[in-house]
Amino acid sequence: MDSLLLALVFAASLAGFCALSLAMDRHSEDVYGRGSSPGTWRRWLQLGGTVLLCLSLAASLQAAGSAIGWVLWLGALTAAALATVGLLGWAPRRFPWIGSAAALVAVGGGLLYLLALLLA
Amino acid sequence: MKEGFRQSMAWLHTWSGLLVGWVLFMVFAAGTASYFKDEITFWMKPELHAVAQHAVPPAQAAEGAVAYLQRHGAGSPRWFINLPTERQPSTDVLYLAAPPPAAAGAAPAERPRRRFDRASLDPASGEAMSAPRATRGGEFFYRLHFDLHYMPALWARWIVGFCAMFMLVAIFSGIVTHKRIFKDFFTFRPKKGQRSWLDAHNVTAVLALPYHLMITYTGLVTLMFMYMPWGPQVAYKDRGGEQAFFAEAFPGSGRDQVKASGNKVPLAPLAPMLAQASAHWNGAAVGRITVHQPGDANAVVAITRAEGPQLSYDQPSMQFNGATGALIGAFGDVPRPAAETRGVLYGLHIGRFGDPLVRALFFLSGLAGCLMVATGLLLWAVKERQKFAKTLKQGGRIGFGLRLVDGLNVGAVAGLPVAMAAFFWANRLVPVDVAERGAVEIRWFFIVWGATAVLGLLRPTLRMWQAQLALGALLFVLLPVLNAFTGPAPLSVSLRSGPSAVAGFDLVAIALGLGLASAVWIVERKRRKSLARQAGAVAKAGPAAQPALVTSEQGS
Repeated sequence: MDSLLLALVFAASLAGFCALSLAMDRHSEDVYGRGSSPGTWRRWLQLGGTVLLCLSLAASLQAAGSAIGWVLWLGALTAAALATVGLLGWAPRRFPWIGSAAALVAVGGGLLYLLALLLA
Repeated sequence: MKEGFRQSMAWLHTWSGLLVGWVLFMVFAAGTASYFKDEITFWMKPELHAVAQHAVPPAQAAEGAVAYLQRHGAGSPRWFINLPTERQPSTDVLYLAAPPPAAAGAAPAERPRRRFDRASLDPASGEAMSAPRATRGGEFFYRLHFDLHYMPALWARWIVGFCAMFMLVAIFSGIVTHKRIFKDFFTFRPKKGQRSWLDAHNVTAVLALPYHLMITYTGLVTLMFMYMPWGPQVAYKDRGGEQAFFAEAFPGSGRDQVKASGNKVPLAPLAPMLAQASAHWNGAAVGRITVHQPGDANAVVAITRAEGPQLSYDQPSMQFNGATGALIGAFGDVPRPAAETRGVLYGLHIGRFGDPLVRALFFLSGLAGCLMVATGLLLWAVKERQKFAKTLKQGGRIGFGLRLVDGLNVGAVAGLPVAMAAFFWANRLVPVDVAERGAVEIRWFFIVWGATAVLGLLRPTLRMWQAQLALGALLFVLLPVLNAFTGPAPLSVSLRSGPSAVAGFDLVAIALGLGLASAVWIVERKRRKSLARQAGAVAKAGPAAQPALVTSEQGS
């Protein structure tokens, strides 16, 4: 399996869950302090999170084929969601940074992969 | 009294989970370990760690195995040859011991039980490997998780199947009971007592839910012909019974007996057959070779494809005439939909489709399953204890049920890791030349587990939890040290130049040990808190409250 694609699978699912959790009032408070709310960002965070999870699925199917790709994706989702819960509980300060970094890796990796496909 | 659907499901969830929880915890833990059973077995044979591993062409490994079998298993009616793979570097041969000559006239019922002889061969030389120690290895955990131990496998499979059915009920009723799956999706609030236990239970259950559903359902599917034999029994009533069904449903699976003719004909060379089979499967590797009646004119060679990147467990096979080398037929190339469905469900359960990453994710989800069962068991005790809060305050005792659950929880949840670690320690410390060595290791597993269970039932206190968790943590963390002293591949070597399976085992052992150590720390915090609370209560109530101290310190 392509290691770029695999990194993409995990980064995209982690970033996706980070975004989805920040779209919720409770976890917004976990990260940004009491009383804070995602406000107008909520829709965008939800949309972005969903898109990232779909990106993760696409990368997974591409990396492992249409049969095992689904298994890999569900496994990666479980790992990423557990990581998100852990980060929310024990590293709320660094949470936005880690989430953004994962999103950056996911989007950058995706573009890199597409570029490589075009050039090949 | 009118109860809502959700309340009745909560009741069902509580009791279906509690009654079988202890067995399920063991099944989950042993099953999770089984994803890496080849690696565990390899770790448990340190004699093999130093052997340089280089790929050998399958034909050479097969010919070497045949030469070995012709020397050692000449009269045997059947040979099984498992060719080496990346995970399993030796050629493993298994052969039925030759039937005793006097048994010809004996009735089938009096026939002595067939005995298998087995050996691990060096693929390059075809010689038995430098005698790796006798051990059941990871196979023990694999068998334990559906055959249990010290009882007939048939009973055990019914017990485990019963528990798995309860598990399925508990999962579905749990989904109904859990009111806020999406709202609480990421919620874990540590240091909040019962709230934290419930959060942990929910998080480990919901986030790995696809896995939990899949593994429980497919676990039942793996043994479906045993649990529900009636379909084939009725449909094949006049057509040869279940045997005929299996022969039709799994063609070429070798259930059909090959009779010996009595004419001795040397076995045709295997290499051309292997090449033909591999070419037929578009270059896929060969996994297993079965030779029926080797050396006879009627000999049949069955070649099965190696596990590859397919979900399905069933692999196609080809059969050759063992005397002439001519192709008899190819089987399972285009599986029927029903057989393929079962094959995929079976394959999903055992997760052997090659990739270590996917198996690591299965392992992670399996650990989440262990935590789900453990937190569920503890949650019952925590909730039940609240009913006794008043009694305890007045110096009373907790009920028998709660005390029993407390005790069993200690032995099952904290004791099992200790026993598993003890199994690995026994593997390295029991002398190599002890008779029945594999069984001795297993005995140590059950001695230690039994001891933790008895101690847990006698004194289910927080101190006992701490002691057992700490012992488990210590035994796991020190496994790499033990490996360094008793094997040729300590972590410093295996991390740099392999074998990677040994490095992986050591690292996972350290991680598990640290996980157990953090559990010790959680219990310590809880113990301090309850001690502080009691100190306050005693200061207020005076010596009359003394008995309450003893009891309320108990349990989770």
